[in-house]
Amino acid sequence: MSAAQAETVIGRSVSRQLGRHLLVVPALAVVVLCFVIPYLNLLVISAMTPSTRAAYLPVFTLANYTRLIADPFTWRVIWHTLWLGGLTTALSLLLGYPLAYHLARAPRRSRGLLMVLVISPLLVGVLIRTYGWMILLQDTGVINQFLRSLGARGVPLMYNDLGVLIGLTHVFVPFMVLSVAGTIQGVDPELELAARSLGAGAWRAFWRVTWPLSLPGVTAGTLLVFVLAISSYVIPSLLGGFTVLTVPILVVRTVTELFNWPAGSAFAILFFAITLAILWVYLRIMGWASRGVS
Amino acid sequence: MAELRLQGLTKRFGEVVAVRDLTVTVESGELVALLGPSGCGKTTTLRMVAGFEAPTQGRVVLGGRDVTDDPPERRNCGMVFQHYALFPHLTVEQNVAFGLEMRRLPRSEVRRRVGEILERVGLTGLARRYPRQLSGGQQQRTALARALVINPSVLLLDEPLANLDAKLREEMRFYIRSLQREFGITTLYVTHDQAEALVLADRIAVLMNGVLQQVGSPEEIYSRPRTATVAAFLGVTNLLPGRVVARRSDLVVLRTSAGIVRACGADGLAEGAEAVVSIRPEHIDLDRADAPGSRDGVNHLRGVVRERTFLGGLVDFRVDLGEGFLLRVQGRAGAPQRVGDQVSVLFDPQAAWALPAQETA
Repeated sequence: MSAAQAETVIGRSVSRQLGRHLLVVPALAVVVLCFVIPYLNLLVISAMTPSTRAAYLPVFTLANYTRLIADPFTWRVIWHTLWLGGLTTALSLLLGYPLAYHLARAPRRSRGLLMVLVISPLLVGVLIRTYGWMILLQDTGVINQFLRSLGARGVPLMYNDLGVLIGLTHVFVPFMVLSVAGTIQGVDPELELAARSLGAGAWRAFWRVTWPLSLPGVTAGTLLVFVLAISSYVIPSLLGGFTVLTVPILVVRTVTELFNWPAGSAFAILFFAITLAILWVYLRIMGWASRGVS
Repeated sequence: MAELRLQGLTKRFGEVVAVRDLTVTVESGELVALLGPSGCGKTTTLRMVAGFEAPTQGRVVLGGRDVTDDPPERRNCGMVFQHYALFPHLTVEQNVAFGLEMRRLPRSEVRRRVGEILERVGLTGLARRYPRQLSGGQQQRTALARALVINPSVLLLDEPLANLDAKLREEMRFYIRSLQREFGITTLYVTHDQAEALVLADRIAVLMNGVLQQVGSPEEIYSRPRTATVAAFLGVTNLLPGRVVARRSDLVVLRTSAGIVRACGADGLAEGAEAVVSIRPEHIDLDRADAPGSRDGVNHLRGVVRERTFLGGLVDFRVDLGEGFLLRVQGRAGAPQRVGDQVSVLFDPQAAWALPAQETA
């Protein structure tokens, strides 16, 4: 091959690679415009001086952060948010995994119908869905009326963590199911049979074979649900009735009720950093747990 | 060591009968090949033995114990799957150790037995590899090691060579055979490949449309098939239709479109019965048409060579016997006959096998 020919071949492969890379441009643009720039803006605001006349005074300060970090209330709210998020994630996994398993192993014909049923919570708008839960859960709601008619005492199901947990889990189970079902579908059912023939009971075959092989899906699902849960606003405010304080609720209140943009921004940035750190550790752990799984 | 008995095994899937009233015994230490075209119910049978599928009727008796209602984990069957079903998240040694760990054997014994079997199948150096890092043949040997290490009562193989390339498949046939002999393990081997069955099996059970056609040694099945379907399924054969005109001691005389043919015959072929004669291409000789009268007792038909195909060591002829019947003949590489030649077709009555004409296809 002559040098000129070689050059055109190289040139062609370079331009082909370039063409492939061009495909990410639209997505990248959206991320930069709608995510990176606003976040950078937030970062800037969080280091500005609060003001009662404007959104903020353009004077640099770290006081927003020092005040925030020194306040034990901040940490209580952060902890509570993470706790609710973790609980929602665990509950979604507990409910979603068996569903995902069933879905993945269902005959092809019924899989479509099951899929629609699974994502049905997402087909109703968040407000309507949440008001629906309120009708069921409130002190004079359907469930409590039923309990009282049986002579039992009513149970507070709303305006507490339980209500928030119910509302959040309801929406997030589909995310879990879809993530997990995908990986389980990729696990050859014969592997479980192989384990059975080697002497493992049904449960042990599951724990030793299917479960570890589905960990990538579990990682994706839990990550998705956790992030969505700790950042959700509408459900915790409506079903928590402002007795349940989470970071998003507090940030919104700081900005819209106290008009303290810099303090709210600082809180958002702090929580963002903490979340990122937690996810990093979690991904490391899950990566270790599912080593060997291709 | 244990014998495996299938007694009247039947499996229905809704309206479809996958296996019908199958009774076969695999003697202790014997290798029986369950042979049939795809969809004949052979894999379903294997899955019933392994316990993955519950029979609609019939029993599975393993080593004198009725295991029909036992779950797979209590049957002690070593199974090798068509796609091996190696655990992708475990290394070779972890895969092989799995069955021993399930039996809660002490760690030291697990390590010893895994080491031994890996050495036996030549995988010692690959113990720490993951299945995806192995070649097809190595995966196959890992699957065999994993099934054998638990000292199973019976070894079940489901088309174990179907995913290997032709050359490796040939090697593995002999390899599996020697391994099976060495372990002296009762084995049920499912395959659709008649060559594989002939090489490997002590006995072959031919299954078609869920019904057992014939059980016997490879020689028996090959040269004395009980039905025309079995004859056609095992290797290449010519099926020449005719009518029985006489029975003479151990020979059957038939009138066919190509002339009178003497053949050995299955019992129960009465005079006047419709029949077919199975003649293997390798048992037929061609000679010049004007050759002097046939050797004594040898069948002598006449035909015209229509096709001649060079196959390397052999030549494949299609000889027209009249009325459109094309006879396949295998000749030596130097065979002089050319397309269009008038030829004599000669074959021994011992090499011709008369069968009842097919009642149902």
